[in-house]
Amino acid sequence: MNPVKVILTLIPFIWTIGMIPFVNRVKPIVFGLPFLAFWLIAGIFVAFICIKCLYHIDSKNNQDS
Amino acid sequence: MSSESMALAIIFVFVIGITIVGMVPGMNKKMSLEEWAVGGRNFGRWLNWFILAGEIYTAFAFLGASGWAYARGGPTFYILGYGALAYLVGYYVLPAFAPLGRKYGLMTQPDLVEHIYKSRTLGILTAVIGVAFLLPYLQLQLTGLGLIIETCSYGQISRVQAMLMAFSMVAVFVYTSGLKGVATTAVIKDVVMIVAVVFFGLYLPIHYFGSVGGMFEAVEAAKPGFLALPGGTKALDVGWVMSTLVLTSLGFYMWPHFAANSFSAKSADVLRHNAVYLPLYQICLVFPMLIGFTALLVLVPALKTPDMAFMAIVQQTFPGWALGLVGGAGALACMIPAADLLLSTSMLFSRNVYGKTIGKNTSSESMGKIARVMVLVLTTIALLLAIYLPNMLVNLLLTGYSGVTQFFPMLVLGVFWKKATKLGAFCGVLIGEILVFGLILGKMDPVPFLGQHLNAGFVALVINMVVFVAISAMTYKPESNKG
Repeated sequence: MNPVKVILTLIPFIWTIGMIPFVNRVKPIVFGLPFLAFWLIAGIFVAFICIKCLYHIDSKNNQDS
Repeated sequence: MSSESMALAIIFVFVIGITIVGMVPGMNKKMSLEEWAVGGRNFGRWLNWFILAGEIYTAFAFLGASGWAYARGGPTFYILGYGALAYLVGYYVLPAFAPLGRKYGLMTQPDLVEHIYKSRTLGILTAVIGVAFLLPYLQLQLTGLGLIIETCSYGQISRVQAMLMAFSMVAVFVYTSGLKGVATTAVIKDVVMIVAVVFFGLYLPIHYFGSVGGMFEAVEAAKPGFLALPGGTKALDVGWVMSTLVLTSLGFYMWPHFAANSFSAKSADVLRHNAVYLPLYQICLVFPMLIGFTALLVLVPALKTPDMAFMAIVQQTFPGWALGLVGGAGALACMIPAADLLLSTSMLFSRNVYGKTIGKNTSSESMGKIARVMVLVLTTIALLLAIYLPNMLVNLLLTGYSGVTQFFPMLVLGVFWKKATKLGAFCGVLIGEILVFGLILGKMDPVPFLGQHLNAGFVALVINMVVFVAISAMTYKPESNKG
C-alpha cells in the first residue's frame, strides 16, 4: 500500500483519538469554544483535508490505469 | 392567532408537507423491488449525500445532544469526533461493498454477508440480529416524536395522537416511494434542521451571554471543569471517550440501513466523493450542544428530563411560533430516519428471514409486495410497543451501537482479508453480542480499566476481533475458498 495513503489515513485518528489525553482541558477558550471542543472541531477539518488528498491520489491512479 | 394554534398550525404544515413530498416519486409508477429498496442503484452525488448525511440529524442529534450537554457536559464533545473518522472508514469500506451489490444483485446487509461467506445461516443470523437492533431504534424515533409534538403543541395533541398521525404518514410514503421517497424528504429535513439548530444555537447564547465564548466562560465560572472530561459524570473519562470514538467510528456503517444506502449509489466514485465532504457537515452538531449549555445556566429550576432542554429554553425565550418551528423540525428529524429504518427492517425481515426460510420459492414480484406490506405491519408493531410497552425495548436500545459494531470484523475483514472463514465470523459475532449484552445488562458499562473506563462495546469488539482472526486462521483452507 502507498505509504502516503497510510499516513493520510492515520493522521485524523491520531488527531481525534490519540491526542485526547493531552487536550482534555477547558482553557484556553479558542474561537469561543472550550479547548477540547475546539480541538475536535479542528479534527473535522484535518479529516476533511486528509480525505480530500486521498481522493485526489485515488482518482489520479484510476485515470492512469 | 393565539400562540398555541400558531405552533399547532406550523407543525401540521411540516408533517403534511413532507408526506406529500415523500409520495411524489412513487406516484403513477410501478416500482420494482430493486427500485423501491435501493432506488434502482442510480443515486448520484446529491441524493446519495442527503441519504447518508440525513441519518446524522435524528431525534438524538436534536434532543439527545442538547440533553447530554445539559446533563453531562464535556463527554458530549465525543459526538463532534466520531463522524469524520467514520467517513474515513467509509471511504475505504463503502466503495468495496457497492460494486459487489451491483454485480450480484445484493440489496441488504445480510445479502452481503451471505454472499461473502456463501452461508445462508450466517445471513439469517445477521438479519435477525439486525432486526433486533433496528426495531428499538425505530421505536425511539416514535417516542421522541410523541414527546416533541406533545410539548410543542402545548399539550393540544397528546403523545399517542402525535405518534399515530405522524407514523401513518411515514408508512404511507415509504409504502409508495421506497428509498427515493426517503432521499427526497431527507433533503428538506436537513435544510429545516440546519436552519433551526444554527439559528437557535447562535441566538440563545448571544441573547443571554453576549457571545458563545461568554456563555462558555460563564459555564466554566459556575461549574469549573464541567466542559472537560469527565464533566458532570464519574465514568465518562478520557479512556471512555477514546474507546467510544473507536467503537462509533468503526460501527457507524455497520448499521444495517446504511448497507442499503450504499447500494443505492450510482458508482463507487459517488461514495468516495461524498466521503470527502460529509465530515464538514458534522460541524452543525455543535449547535444543539450550545443550546444545552445555555439551558444549563438559564433554566431555573433544573429539568427532570435533560432531553427537554432544547424545547424548554425555546419555550421560555420565544413566543409560540418558534416552538412550532422547533416542533416541526423535530418531527421531521424523527420521521425521516424512521422511514429509512422502516424500509430496512422490512427488507431484512421479508427478504432475509422469511425469504430464506419459509418462503424460499417466493417470486421477486410477490417478494416486493410482501416487503411493502411488512412496512405497514412493522409500523403497527412499533406503534403498539411505543404506546403499551414503552420501556420493554430500552435494553436493546442501550446495546444498539455496541451491538451493530460487532458486525465490523465479519463484514470488513470478510471483504479485505482472504483468509476470513465462515466459522471465524460465526464465533466472533456470537461472542461479541454475548459480551455486549452481558456487560451492559450486568451494569458493567463502562468497564473499569487501569484507573480509566472503557466502552463495553469496545471491549467486546476487541475480543470479537481476536476470536475471528484466530479461528479464521485455524480453519482457512486455500482450496475451499475457490468455489
